[in-house]
Amino acid sequence: MSFKSAVITFPGSNCDRDALCYLKDLTKGEVYKIWHEETSLPKVDLVILPGGFSFGDYLRSGAMASKSKIIDEVVKHANDNRYLLGICNGFQILTEIGLLEGALIRNKKLKFLGKNCFIKKKFKNNFNLSIKDNQILQIPVAHNEGNFYCDTETLNLLKNNEQIAFEYCKGEFSNTEENINGSIEAIAGITNKKKNVLGMMPHPERAYSNFHQSQDGRLIIESLIS
Amino acid sequence: MNEELILQHGLTLDEFQVIRKYLNRDLSIEELGIFSAMWNEHCCYKTSKKWLKKLPTDNEIVIQGPGENAGVIDLQDNDGIAFKIESHNHPSYIEPFNGSATGVGGILRDIFTMGARPIATLDSIRFGLIETEKTKYLLNGVVHGIGHYGNCIGIPNIGGECEFESTYDFNNLVNAMAVGHVQKDKIFYSKPKSIGGLIVYIGSKTGKDGIHGASMASDVFSEEDEDEKRPSVQVGDPFMEKLLMEGCLELMSSGLIESMQDMGAAGITSSSVEMASKGNVGVYINLDKVPLRQPLSAYEILLSESQERMLAVIDKKNNHNVREILQKWQIDYEVIGEITDTKRVVFESNNKKVVDLPVEIIVDDAPEYDREFYIPRKRKNKDFDFSKIKLEDMIINLLTNLNYLDKSWVFDQYDSTVMGDTIREPGQSSGIVKIHGTQKVIGASTDCNPLYIRINPYEGMKYTVAESYRNLIACNINPLAITNNLNFASPLDPNIMGELVLSIHGLKTAAVKFNTPIVSGNVSLYNQTNEIPIKPTPVIGMVGSNMDLNKINTNKFCEIGNKILILGKQLTKNCSPYLLQDQKIAFNICEFNDLEVLDLDFEKKIANCVLELSDLKCIMSCNDISRGGIFSALLKMQYKDMGFRVKVPDPIDLFCEYSAGYVIEIRSKDFEEVTSFLTKKGAEYHEIGEIIKEGIEINSKKFDYFDIMNKYRNDFEKIIS
Repeated sequence: MSFKSAVITFPGSNCDRDALCYLKDLTKGEVYKIWHEETSLPKVDLVILPGGFSFGDYLRSGAMASKSKIIDEVVKHANDNRYLLGICNGFQILTEIGLLEGALIRNKKLKFLGKNCFIKKKFKNNFNLSIKDNQILQIPVAHNEGNFYCDTETLNLLKNNEQIAFEYCKGEFSNTEENINGSIEAIAGITNKKKNVLGMMPHPERAYSNFHQSQDGRLIIESLIS
Repeated sequence: MNEELILQHGLTLDEFQVIRKYLNRDLSIEELGIFSAMWNEHCCYKTSKKWLKKLPTDNEIVIQGPGENAGVIDLQDNDGIAFKIESHNHPSYIEPFNGSATGVGGILRDIFTMGARPIATLDSIRFGLIETEKTKYLLNGVVHGIGHYGNCIGIPNIGGECEFESTYDFNNLVNAMAVGHVQKDKIFYSKPKSIGGLIVYIGSKTGKDGIHGASMASDVFSEEDEDEKRPSVQVGDPFMEKLLMEGCLELMSSGLIESMQDMGAAGITSSSVEMASKGNVGVYINLDKVPLRQPLSAYEILLSESQERMLAVIDKKNNHNVREILQKWQIDYEVIGEITDTKRVVFESNNKKVVDLPVEIIVDDAPEYDREFYIPRKRKNKDFDFSKIKLEDMIINLLTNLNYLDKSWVFDQYDSTVMGDTIREPGQSSGIVKIHGTQKVIGASTDCNPLYIRINPYEGMKYTVAESYRNLIACNINPLAITNNLNFASPLDPNIMGELVLSIHGLKTAAVKFNTPIVSGNVSLYNQTNEIPIKPTPVIGMVGSNMDLNKINTNKFCEIGNKILILGKQLTKNCSPYLLQDQKIAFNICEFNDLEVLDLDFEKKIANCVLELSDLKCIMSCNDISRGGIFSALLKMQYKDMGFRVKVPDPIDLFCEYSAGYVIEIRSKDFEEVTSFLTKKGAEYHEIGEIIKEGIEINSKKFDYFDIMNKYRNDFEKIIS
């Protein structure tokens, strides 16, 4: 059966086209482009909330998008045990909706960070099945507010439930820091308790094609399809 | 009308008399405002026009040359590339964050006004010496502003320059370039098609920001002015621009509009006058219909430079559909006037004609000056004495000079991979992006060598063009066309005017030789504060292509054991200031030594060798040799755990500049093939060494690899903090 997916576009999303190409090229299945004001969502296996600056990131990153009309449908989709992936701004939106714990605050150096970063998987889930333990993935980040924060109690829950999907690490020859944006315990991506919703700051949709600097971003879709 | 008021509007009394005589009546204050906006350097090029006309602007691939919002070149099939560079120097000095942000916003609008989707930006930014707090503040603000705008709208930043020199202490330069992809059969021009078409206002509401921005940009600065002029800096909203861009591109692809014009410098005045002039028609606009953010007078509406606004012409029958698309994008939209057959520009406010002028007097009769200029005196040409300089000192000089250090601190604040088509990120010889959905790539580079141009404007400009040319060649990108941004001080000084004239001649010579016409550009004059003029800084942006993304070269070392070859000719007479520790003294010394004549035929010959060898897949990696010499080129090529071992007759060979200089990495097994190819072509080469693991060795002397690479990569941030 073919893998169906959808990408939600908010005003100010700027990685929606990238996410569409990523899904089309890797899933070979149908990909729907959904405008934020729509009130129904086709039955799909995966929904991506793409990166960008939804509603200009005014008020707080992701805050206004989390009140969009389509969000009720997105929540239903997730409650249905189907996959939901928020990348960058999409991750911020997921925390604003409350589907994921914690919050994303400004990078520790208070500057936008647009560069390659390195991550590895922490706890196993369906999004990272095809990734080996200790395998280092090179994937670009591009964010101003990617510094994951939560209180100790939540952090313990995330650990005990094995909800931490990815953490930043050092690349083999790179001089980038281990924890590029100051996230608590270098967290780069987390899931919900049921592990069907993943939010991550790095952009796998910018690291999959042969001409990209790395193809490691493929592994996430490959994990879901396998 | 009193003289003071006229002068305040930046017009000379002679210019005013021309207008007065033509109209044979007094002007309204609104009309004076219009002439102030349209007859300044920024809008009518009154000083530079005579010389700009001499530039080559056409060849077989040029679809649109200068005169539209951006130039467009043909990239085969139905693909066209629109690009342009523009300055936002003065606003960025007064308010670095918003000044630079709106510079990016303005150039992006120029691109999508043509119907093109922006696919890359580059920035050429120049500051004074970093030792002053002011420079640190400007650098932080400008980089933050550029990033803020470009990142939010989601266009990858793929390169540019960032340099420091005392000449920019009180007058930093911010030149932003944008490149867009357009379908050749869907290019939009500013010329309206039919009489009776509706003039519609699209985008942000009009406010007080930027009133008289264009005339400010054509003014000489003094330090006290800074606070007074701050309200003239526009404030940008990249989110609004993103909506505007998507909305406009959707309108254009749906075939709902006839023509479009960006409300940039001189706002609604400039855009409507240009429309009328291009179409040889008239315009009628009711200013009461303009969406306002706050109560404004007719005069203020005409001159506001509020950002993220467009003017379009549509057929009456499309009004409803246009409204619907723009509502989806939450963009303000209002019909404010129509195209008439009067050949007059008429603005109405409160049922009164506040402006009623023939288009002819505003555009065709705009002043054009043939200003006096002096040919700069010829400097002596002698071999520079490098003998006292030690290898260790040269390395230290390079690694303590901001201009030669890795500038990741700047580029990391920009999103360079959004849109998913970036192939070569900033910090390398040229930025490269793929044309979405094809195998074609576009490379772009910006360059200027102000020191060389000060020494010898004609030759210096040739060097500048050749540097961009080499930047592209090194990646196996065919150079195609140029956009230019001529930043100079006051042209009323005949010495500066001379530099302007001669550098345009140098640009012409090189552009003709390389067959890279100038298709768009911008002139920024009066770059001086407290009567301290900047060095002549005519920046060029060069664009090129390769039809096959698999054929482009990397700038980074590939494999340990591969050989390092040098192509080109060493320039022994050109002095390089970085060889000396004290930069101020260095520049003084260097300025007294003339440049060697740059042999453009030789540049072409070597470039063709690099392109051919690249196509033969014999080049593993390649970088051009520019300021900082071979050593600097090698540092830029360092990758993973790879270093280099080189042997040269004299250490100075590693730091001199080259004509047609390239460092190429080749496999041992290709050595015979490559060298016999070069010999056959009559191209001189030098085998200087090889790639080694974690080491830097020069003439058998070992240097601390980790220390040098660490300084090269991380010291920029330390120095500027």
